[in-house]
This record gives sequence, C-alpha cells and structure tokens, in this order.
Amino acid sequence: MKTAVQKDLTNEINSGRKANLIFICLFLLLILFLILDIFLGSVNIQPSEVIGAFFNNSHTGFQTIILKFRLPKAITALTVGIALSLSGLQMQTVFRNPMAGPYVLGISSGASLGVAFVILGFSSTITPESLTGFGNWILVAASWVGAGAVMLLIMVISSKVKDIMTVLILGIMLSSGISAVVTIMQYFSNETLLKAYVIWTMGSLGNLTVNQLNVLLISVSAGIILSLFSSKMLNALLLGENYAGSIGLNVRFARAVIFICTSILAGSVTAFCGPIGFIGIAVPHIVRILFKTSDHKILIPGTILMGGAVMLASDILSQLPGSETVLPINAVTSLIGIPVVIWVILRNRQYSDSF
Amino acid sequence: MEMNSKEILSVDSLRIGYGSGKNENALLPPLNASANFGELIAVIGRNGIGKSTLLRTLTGLQQPLGGNISYYWKNIKDYTRIALAQKVGYISTEIVKVSNMRVYDLVALGRFPHTNWIGKVGMRDHEIILDALKKTSMSFFAQKFISELSDGERQKAMIARILAQDTGIMIMDEPTAFLDIASKYEILHLMHQLSGSGTKTIIFSTHDLQMAISQADKIWLILENELIEGAPEDLMLAGEFDHLFDSSTVMFNSEDGTFSFRSETKGAVYLEGEGNKRFWTEKAINRAGFKVSKEKTLPFIILPTTNHSPWKLVNGTEILEFRSLYELMGCLSRTTTRSI
Repeated sequence: MKTAVQKDLTNEINSGRKANLIFICLFLLLILFLILDIFLGSVNIQPSEVIGAFFNNSHTGFQTIILKFRLPKAITALTVGIALSLSGLQMQTVFRNPMAGPYVLGISSGASLGVAFVILGFSSTITPESLTGFGNWILVAASWVGAGAVMLLIMVISSKVKDIMTVLILGIMLSSGISAVVTIMQYFSNETLLKAYVIWTMGSLGNLTVNQLNVLLISVSAGIILSLFSSKMLNALLLGENYAGSIGLNVRFARAVIFICTSILAGSVTAFCGPIGFIGIAVPHIVRILFKTSDHKILIPGTILMGGAVMLASDILSQLPGSETVLPINAVTSLIGIPVVIWVILRNRQYSDSF
Repeated sequence: MEMNSKEILSVDSLRIGYGSGKNENALLPPLNASANFGELIAVIGRNGIGKSTLLRTLTGLQQPLGGNISYYWKNIKDYTRIALAQKVGYISTEIVKVSNMRVYDLVALGRFPHTNWIGKVGMRDHEIILDALKKTSMSFFAQKFISELSDGERQKAMIARILAQDTGIMIMDEPTAFLDIASKYEILHLMHQLSGSGTKTIIFSTHDLQMAISQADKIWLILENELIEGAPEDLMLAGEFDHLFDSSTVMFNSEDGTFSFRSETKGAVYLEGEGNKRFWTEKAINRAGFKVSKEKTLPFIILPTTNHSPWKLVNGTEILEFRSLYELMGCLSRTTTRSI
C-alpha cells in the first residue's frame, strides 16, 4: 500500500503546487490591474508622467490627478472588491446557497437604509461630502446596523425555509420593501439631501474623502482578519449545521462571527460607495471554478485576490480607456457578474440544494 | 450501583423531546439504556417515535429535557464540544451535497476536533485520513468530487470521515436507508468489521428488523412506553417484537425471525418429498394461504424428484402435473382440501 500512499502524496503536492501557481498568477493580475487603473483614465497622461508624479514633487496638475484622484480610487476599488467578494463567499457558505450575496439577499439594501437614515433622516446639514471625522464612523455604523438587521432576518428565514430559491425571493422582497421605505423617506426630504442621496445610490468609487477612505480601510481590514480566522468554521459549515456541530463546531458562535464579519464588510462598502451589485455573488464562483476546491483556506485568499482584481478591472472598464466618459461602476459590475450568476443557476438546476 | 468496566455509554432516565418549561414536549417516557465497548447496537422503532431525536440527543446536538447521558463514565455536560467530538461521531440521514469538495477534503473535515485554529492538516492527520480511506476501501476515490459518487460510495466516504474523527463511538441515523442491496450489505459488513475489531461502538437506527436481528449485538427497541434493550434473540424469545406491530395483519415469526401476513387458512396440504424443493414449495403454499399438513390430505402434492420432473397434485385417481410452482399455485388456490 506504500505506493498508493506515495501516489496520493504526490497528488496532494501537485494540487498544492497548482494552487500556488494560480495564486501567483492572480497576484500578478491584481498588480497589473492596479497599475493599469492608475495609468489609464479619462485624462490622457503619459506613463512617464505617471511615474514622475510618484517620485518628483512637481505639483503639476497631473500629479494632483494621480495622487489625489486615481490612486485613492484604485485603492478604493481594491478594498471594495475584496470586501464584497469575501462577504459573498461567507454568505454562500453559511446559507449553503450558491445565490447568496450582499446585493441579491438585500444586505446592501439594508445598509442603504442605514445610510438613508443618516443622510435623509436626522440632520439637514449632513451630506456625504460634509461628513468628516467622527461623522464618517456614524455613517458606517448606521450602514453596519442596516446590513446586520437584514442579515439577521435572512438568517432567521433560512433556518426555517430550506429552499434556496424561496430564500432568494424573500431576499428580493426585502430589498423591494426597503427601497419602498427609502422612497418614502426621499419624498419627505428636501432637495439638497435628495440629490446627495441619489448620487450616493448610483455607486461610486471616486468620491471618497481621505478620511472616508481611512474608515473604509480600517473596517475592511478588520473584516479580512476576521474572515481569515473563520476559514476552519466555514469549512465545517459546508456540511450543514448538524454535521458541523457533531465535529465540534460551536455553530452559534461561528454564525455570530460570520454575521459580524459580513455586516462589516458589506456595510462599510455600501456606506461610502453605494450599493454595488453582483461582485459579491460572482467572484466566489469564479474562484471555486479556478481552484476546484471547497476548502476556505484556499478560497478566502483566492477570493481576496480575485475580488480585488475584478473590481479594479471594472473600474478600468468604467473609465472607458481612450474616452472622456465615465460609466457608473454599478453598470459594469452587473455586466461582469450577471453572466456568472446565470451560469451558476443553469448549472445548478438539477442540484438546486448543492453549491 | 455496580460499575461495569466495559460500559462506554450509559443513559439514565433520559427524557428527549423539544421545547422547555411549560411548552415541553417529551417524545417518550424516561429512557434507560447502555452500550459496551465494541458493540453494534441497532435502534429499532416505528417511524416518528423519536429514534432520530434520541440519536441527536446522544450526539449532543440537542439538549435532553432531563436525565443523564454518560460517555466513559463522565456526564455529557462535562465535555466541551471539542472533547465530545473526539469521543462521539455522527452520521445523519442528511445527504451532504457540496460542489468542488473532494472525498479527501470531506474525510479531512473529520480531523476538525483535532486540528489547530486554521484547520491545518498535518502529517499525522494526513496518515489518519489515508488510513480511514483505506479501511472503507475509498483510497481510490480520494481525489474524486463527492458529487460524482454513488449513494453507497458517499456513505462510505461519510464513514471514512467519522473514522478520521477517531471517536470510540459512532452514531448513525439509518446508514443504509437509501442504498441498494449490494451497497447496503457492504456498509453493514463495514460496520460489523469496525465494531468487531473492538475499537468502535456503533449505535445505528434502522427499519430493517431482520438485518438488525441477524447483525446487531444488542437491540434498543423503542416502544411507545419504554425502551427495551437486549440481545436480539432475548427480545425475540420474550416476544417483544410483536409490540412493533399493532396491526393484526402482520405477524412476526419468533421461530425464524421472519414476517408474514396474517390470513385465513384455506386448508392444509400434505407434501410428499424432501430437500430444497420442499422448503420453497412450503413457502409458496403458505403464501397461497395453506398450511403444511402432517397427515395425508386430498389432494396432496408429490414433489419433483429430479430437476426435470413435474410437481404432481394427487386427488384420488386424478393426477395433475405442473412444470412450475406458479402453475401449481394457480390450481391449488381453486381447490379445497380435506384430510383423510
């Protein structure tokens, strides 16, 4: 039997090597997109000028564009991609639902409601642009609470209803309900606030102040660290609650950790960039296809790299290289994400309860 | 109370069910049972009586309403989740469907209570996983996706997972329920091997009473008002299995552990002849509603003496010949018999 063991070991090592190779490729892709995202934009800047902007203190207009606009925007795109994809991955595992994602299940809507309360509700002087320092944390916290509330509701629903599609439809209903509430709030708010809110809902990676970017980076980093700690729990949850419990997982604790982690990740992004669709649901599937594994020790870092890369690519596409038009980021992510989602639905038709 | 050194599990006045306080809904009266090292124990009871709930409660997935469960003379409440998962493994009736999960990964999840915070599978874990795959003859399938397995293979993979978990006790809820006959006996053989080696105590629920009687070391028979435990033969001699059938249509034969339908006897028939042919002819005439008579009857049956000779139905001077039991039964069911 020794040869069989050795053969198995070689298989193991080979699949490990293959995974490492994909990791390296993904990492290089991420770096490439990051560079491209800084180099390309609606204003044509020569590559030499771009490099110059980083190293020479020339105070030209180009330097302002690169350091004040493109760099923060690229970092935002990277962070947003990672956060949404990770929350999507965790939700798919914890709900055992291939269609789960922050946008589809209404978590983003919940976050929007939190934001709407802050922007439209409490004060007539707060606008996303005027928020500074502590105000940003209020905005983000409201978003977490909103996301968390919907997440909790979906958790309760999915513990009662096992059917994936039913949960999905209920998620869509929730989103619509929340939109209705937000619409009513809009109806009663004044013009300035309404404009601020509508612009926010269009989703944008480029409107963050330095302070907001800091808040986003801190929150998402916390979420990433938490998700790295949750990989073992997520692996156990793949088998379902009963099996997870029988192999020694504290299911309630695991759910709570993942619940907090997802709310932070999806909530923070939505607070500053608006609801961005289909990244959270699509990226985990691309990563699963790529690595052909269900092991979160691989899926989590894979999703981090892929999520960042896809979002950077979306940002590059939204700027329509060579033209001066900038498309809404939501349109681009939808066009990238929806085909993946459709593919998953078609593939899962006969195994609607597996993912 | 005398301490039984071979006892691995003891269940004392255990009350199982759902809810708490005033909404408490106990499924059964307090249960008492025990299991020794290396025993294969079958849990028998009619549908919905609480077999699954009992097994879930024993696994610690569900809180008991009252009473005690002790593993290795230590109360289940004094175990941490991880410590309990190192002693007791569980297979439910739930079918695990995860895409992109390889058999190896599934079995590796059995190492969950033994690995560090990130779940790293070390060299020793790896060897245990390979050993578990080997014992269940699933080594060849290690790199296959579980979605590609047949029902029987998947169940073996689940058993490999529980073996990797390295627990002394394995609790299985209807492990053979959805399997075809071949897989069913393969799984059963595996369970028998594992418990026979003395390292595993297996408690499993089943609806297959004949299988339980022939294979299990002990049976926990769950009835409406009590749990009766004992060797299958003891329960059979005490006639306990009769309580499983409250209807008057099914009868349990305590002579050979088989079931039959109660039906009005149409009469008795005398059989002339011996051997294999006699055994199956008896079965056939029993099903047709006749008994085998010790005295001569009219008509009576002469069994074939060679493979090519016919069955003969003798009624005085009239002798009818039949090429098969099927034809014989067709004729017999239209005749009335009388003893002479």
